[in-house]
Amino acid sequence: MNTRKAGLAPRVLILLLMVYLLVPLLATGLYAFAQDWQNSLLPRAWTFDWFIQMFQDLRFMEALWTSLYLCLISVVVSLVVMLPAVFVITMYFPRWESLMKGIVVLPYAVPGVVAAVGLIRTYSSGPLNIAGTSYLLVGAYFVVILPYMYQGIRNSLLTVSAAELLQAAELLGARRRQAFMNVILPNIWPGVMVSALLSFSVLFGEFVLTNMLVGGHIQTIQIYLYKRVGESGHLASAIAISYFVFILVLSMVLMKLGKKMGGVRG
Amino acid sequence: MNDYLKLQGVRKLFGDACVLDNVDLEIREGELVTLLGPSGCGKSTLLRCIAGLTELDGGSIMLAQKDVTRQPPRDREVGMVFQSYALFPNLTVGQNVEYGMKMRGMSKAAQRTRSEELLALVDLEEKRDVYPQSLSGGQQQRIALARSLAVQPKVLLLDEPLSALDAKIRKNLRTEIREIQKRLGMTTLFVTHDQEEALIVSDRVCVMKGGRIIQDDSPEGLYTAPRTEFVARFMGSYNVFTRPEALKLFGRVDSSADSFALRPEAITLLKAGEAAAAEEEGRILLDASIHSVSMLGNIIRCTAEASGIRLTVDVLNDGSWLRLREQDQVTLVLDPAQLRHLEREGA
Repeated sequence: MNTRKAGLAPRVLILLLMVYLLVPLLATGLYAFAQDWQNSLLPRAWTFDWFIQMFQDLRFMEALWTSLYLCLISVVVSLVVMLPAVFVITMYFPRWESLMKGIVVLPYAVPGVVAAVGLIRTYSSGPLNIAGTSYLLVGAYFVVILPYMYQGIRNSLLTVSAAELLQAAELLGARRRQAFMNVILPNIWPGVMVSALLSFSVLFGEFVLTNMLVGGHIQTIQIYLYKRVGESGHLASAIAISYFVFILVLSMVLMKLGKKMGGVRG
Repeated sequence: MNDYLKLQGVRKLFGDACVLDNVDLEIREGELVTLLGPSGCGKSTLLRCIAGLTELDGGSIMLAQKDVTRQPPRDREVGMVFQSYALFPNLTVGQNVEYGMKMRGMSKAAQRTRSEELLALVDLEEKRDVYPQSLSGGQQQRIALARSLAVQPKVLLLDEPLSALDAKIRKNLRTEIREIQKRLGMTTLFVTHDQEEALIVSDRVCVMKGGRIIQDDSPEGLYTAPRTEFVARFMGSYNVFTRPEALKLFGRVDSSADSFALRPEAITLLKAGEAAAAEEEGRILLDASIHSVSMLGNIIRCTAEASGIRLTVDVLNDGSWLRLREQDQVTLVLDPAQLRHLEREGA
């Protein structure tokens, strides 16, 4: 390896950035384990009570489970719809691409509050009365992660030059579906996995839209956290730390998975 | 006629632009024909039309007495090698070569035998179980060649297969491709923009420009007798003269052509003193001064200026011209019989 050593300035900068990012997390972590922390620099006594309380709280486990499966369903639905859709658009209708790019960034342009109000208005009456249900939430989640999924899948297709791979497979006698399954999919899988993971994390941390859409009916982990913050700071810290560790583990697992699929074989 | 692959009036439009303009082309069985032309002349599009990857706007394609114009790529029995190799990164070299046979439902044992045979043909037997990414560009392209040959296509299409490789590997691989093609008697259509490559590998070369084949000839014919100015310029170092220039150099020309071409090796260079000895019937002697000299190895290429016209002259590097310098005074011997009278473009 002939990488040049970084100079002093960049290193200091990175250090400062790390401090800036990690100090709040560290403080939250300390607070989650602190029993008594009033007027001293560090807590006087340590305890696991907050974590035990948290895991004994049925509502917490329920909220965690709700969040998990709602996010998972949304990501899976998005994968099932977007994979073939993006594939067809990039391969056969490249002229629609500019239009799609525009549509796909719309979720960024519409603020969560506006989107929520619009959705509630539209779906609280008429033939599709699904306001406050998880169907509406999954639908909204689908839209929220649209940009990540579209860009992720599209970029994966372009990096592996999917068009040529597909043509090569077709000339060798494969049907399009076969070619998609055994040539395109295994090659774009790692990239698709990464955007699915990103989407999942975004949804898992989503609060504004969720709270407005289904706040009174469904408790996701974020809504639960929001409700408990006022009661006990220690407990809220414990939840935040568990949440962080959970996402960290999830990311690592999925990254490994993606690497394995990309590196060894499909 | 024994035309194995026959294109008739092939037309292709991209929007308003006519990319292929009534192309007719016949290829005999076992022949290697090259489509040669600058980028954008339609040569790759023509290849993709034959493969079925691009739909025609007119005309027909017959392959082995069968009309394949409307058939999907997988039913056409054509093999194709891409400039970017297009190997499947998720499959090993062996699996890549076997892919086509697997899709056609051949038995495992037959697949294995055939892929071993082909890997031996391209001299890469020991790479069977590695992934394509770990191979060099030249090796990857040989695997791609083996993969396309595995299903015994009726015609092999090579789309600039050597353009992504560096010069030395390119030279080796082009001879290798030609040898394999001859050994298998494979009917092949080769696309390139490199005239040297085209002349070396082909039985026949079709020069394309603006969606049409403007000259279809043997490599020797193409090089010695370019028909238009475009072909003459494309073949490399040809001297191309306008009518006034030709009149100035040769005194008179016996045709109404507007432009003329003269090969650089058809001009003889004499040292200023030797001129008289070389006087032959019909030859024209011109005083000239050397403008620049470049050493190409076995030949020395110089530009000389005579009567205000600059000419490229190739002389064999046999040792007698080692002292050739810029500004040297020399005599050029021109043979009017060697002057090519070029047709007008589009005629």
